[in-house]
Amino acid sequence: MATTPKFAVEDRFARVAILFSFVMLALGSLFGLVQALTRFPGLLHALGLDKVITPELYYTGLTLHGVANAILFTAFFIMGLAVFVVTRDMNINLHGPLLRLACMMAIGGTLVAAVPILLGQATVLYTFYPPLNANVLFYLGLAVVVVASWIFAAVVFHGIYRWKKANPDKEIPLGVWGVITTLVIWLYATPPLAYEVLFLLVPMSLAGMPVDVLEARLWFWYFGHPLVYFWLLPAVTLWYTLLPRVLGTEVFSKTMAKVAFVLYMIFSTPVGLHHQYVDPGVHPVFKYLHATLTYFVAVPSFLTAFNLIATLERAGRARGGKGLFGWVTALPWFKDPVFTGLALAIIIFGTGGFSGVINASFQINYVVHNTMWIPGHFHTTVGSGVALSFLTASLVLIPLLYGRQIVSMKTVKAAFVLWFVGIMLFSVGGYLSGLAGEPRRTYAPPYLNGVQVTAHLLDLMKSAASVAMSGALMFWLGGALFLGTLFFSVLFGKRVAFEGEVKISPEPGPASWFEKNLKLILIVGVVLILISYSLPAIEVYSQGLSPAPPQGPLK
Amino acid sequence: MTVHREEKIWAFFVLGLTVVFLAALAYAAWGLGLTTPYTVERIPAQKAAQELKPGVDCVNPNVKQIVNNVVVCQDGRYYVNVLAMRFTWLPNRIVLTDPKEVKFRITSTDVIHGFEIAGTNVNVMVFPGYIAEITWKVPSNMAPGNYLIICNEYCGAGHQNMYAILEIRK
Ligand code: HEM
Ligand SMILES: [Cu+2]
Ligand SMILES: [Cu+2]
Repeated sequence: MATTPKFAVEDRFARVAILFSFVMLALGSLFGLVQALTRFPGLLHALGLDKVITPELYYTGLTLHGVANAILFTAFFIMGLAVFVVTRDMNINLHGPLLRLACMMAIGGTLVAAVPILLGQATVLYTFYPPLNANVLFYLGLAVVVVASWIFAAVVFHGIYRWKKANPDKEIPLGVWGVITTLVIWLYATPPLAYEVLFLLVPMSLAGMPVDVLEARLWFWYFGHPLVYFWLLPAVTLWYTLLPRVLGTEVFSKTMAKVAFVLYMIFSTPVGLHHQYVDPGVHPVFKYLHATLTYFVAVPSFLTAFNLIATLERAGRARGGKGLFGWVTALPWFKDPVFTGLALAIIIFGTGGFSGVINASFQINYVVHNTMWIPGHFHTTVGSGVALSFLTASLVLIPLLYGRQIVSMKTVKAAFVLWFVGIMLFSVGGYLSGLAGEPRRTYAPPYLNGVQVTAHLLDLMKSAASVAMSGALMFWLGGALFLGTLFFSVLFGKRVAFEGEVKISPEPGPASWFEKNLKLILIVGVVLILISYSLPAIEVYSQGLSPAPPQGPLK
Repeated sequence: MTVHREEKIWAFFVLGLTVVFLAALAYAAWGLGLTTPYTVERIPAQKAAQELKPGVDCVNPNVKQIVNNVVVCQDGRYYVNVLAMRFTWLPNRIVLTDPKEVKFRITSTDVIHGFEIAGTNVNVMVFPGYIAEITWKVPSNMAPGNYLIICNEYCGAGHQNMYAILEIRK
């Protein structure tokens, strides 16, 4: 192995977690292909695939796609990355046995949840809204993964705490700021999820207990929105640290980077009601409160955009770029694949961010809620801004962790380009067909063929959907090419020896205001959550619950 | 701890933009009356079919007729009760003649559904146990014809079959 013996345990954890995450991505993406194909009912029929890709397979696959790609791929990669960043940037060891326990529990829980999904007994999609009912193993498996993540977070915080004790006057490295804020968001967000799963869904599944839909959704979305920032922050961390590194420059403003992390951290949880704008039973004033906080969580993204563009400009000018835009062409667009991947991910995420601000609008949400607009939006954010950044980071991590060279940078670059063009087609097609009213999460609906309705919307729906799904096929190919290269490299890549230290963050300076006031910042986060959630919770509980009995999805 | 001057300008610009957006949303919501759906009426899911009452306030003598859960008022206002059940909408064909304003009251007998009229801003979640109420101000240029009512929240293996037709006559 190429890694230093000092981090033998930590690196083994990172290797297992990252490899497992890519296996999940491969599995989940397989069903992305199935989903894209079902949006071509004519093609499906012509190929005779409508006998193979049944609605049952489609919905089971959609469940797997969401759980494997959005939850498991992200969570495992983030755990591996966090361990790598913290051990290298702080030069510390973590609690080995607990780390191993967390790893085994997370993988064990995943396998337990996978069994009912694959048997078609948990076809409740990754949002598992009650009273749709799944086999209890699905809920328990996911609960074990969550508990494992708590153990993991405790291990990492313990390490950071010890470092801080030993270095009270030193600044926390920027990458570790990313790790801390990511894990704090996770800890803010998961307790209500645990409550929903253990006290509502498990009794529903085991004993047929009726569940109040509004109560369950309130706690699910309390978790559901911070989840997306849990995905995003590690990607932002990579942009702030890896991008300046490959360009041989410093991030334009370390201070504003920390401001962004802190704002993300405190504003990402109290906004979940923006997923419930069109739910009955929650007062518009509370929805508006969450809309307000949602707009504030866009602020750190705007700050990040400025900071990154300024960093790029500096790097471009250092490479001799002149004039207003000369620095853009001076950047190593296709010379350095790490730059290519991160830059494309940032551009894609930028477009996704704008559609996010649109979704957050209190009123426009009517038009886009639950339409294809939404997959168009989140494939540019998590499905790309995040996923593509992780794939790119693996170009750096694989040689360091597995001691193998990436076998072909040509296929990597080709994969990135396919991914970029594909995802752009997918999102634009999704936006347009969504505006025409095409629903998401729907297997080839019969009204697309033959039902007489006022026509032009249906035509737009159909043609925009074909654009979207051609894009999906394209970026699926890009993903397959990339993952193929990656797996091949891990197994057969040329061995590389590695010596010396690796750090991803810039050299830390003296402790700043943020290090000294971390506790205060954490408390502000909790207070915001208490304000924004106590009001709707009082409303939901005080009006009395109205539980509905469970229903299996496949009868 | 350095913050460049450009960054300060940008930060204030972004904050100002945010405040303008929020003011626009608040004005649209409470100035123009475009808020999000809101009801707290509850109804037992299993008895929803019997207990869903039309939310009529244009009582006699204003009521022109009642057909199939649809109450018609003199002045182009309609009250429509809709029941969602896997995998159909009841009624699954709604005919409205020159509607000006339609109030939908919708609930579900089983799981969560989504009530969407494609190409309009009618889009509301439908829960078992709760009545969703939404008032639709019909645009005056709405062309006569058949419109699609879609279920846009996954509700089980036949979800894709769950649609209905809204016919607008002039
Ligand atoms: C690799 C190629 C991929 C393809 C071809 C693909 C395709 C799709 C399609 C077509 C849908 C919409 C299904 C529908 O509404 O009918 C979908 C949903 C979704 N995708 Fe992807 N996707 C890919 C990768 C990803 C990645 C990398 C992520 C996240 C990291 C992701 C997360 C999701 C989620 C969360 C949903 C929503 C599931 C639900 O609504 O229950 N996808 N995907
Ligand atoms: Cu439905
Ligand atoms: Cu449905």
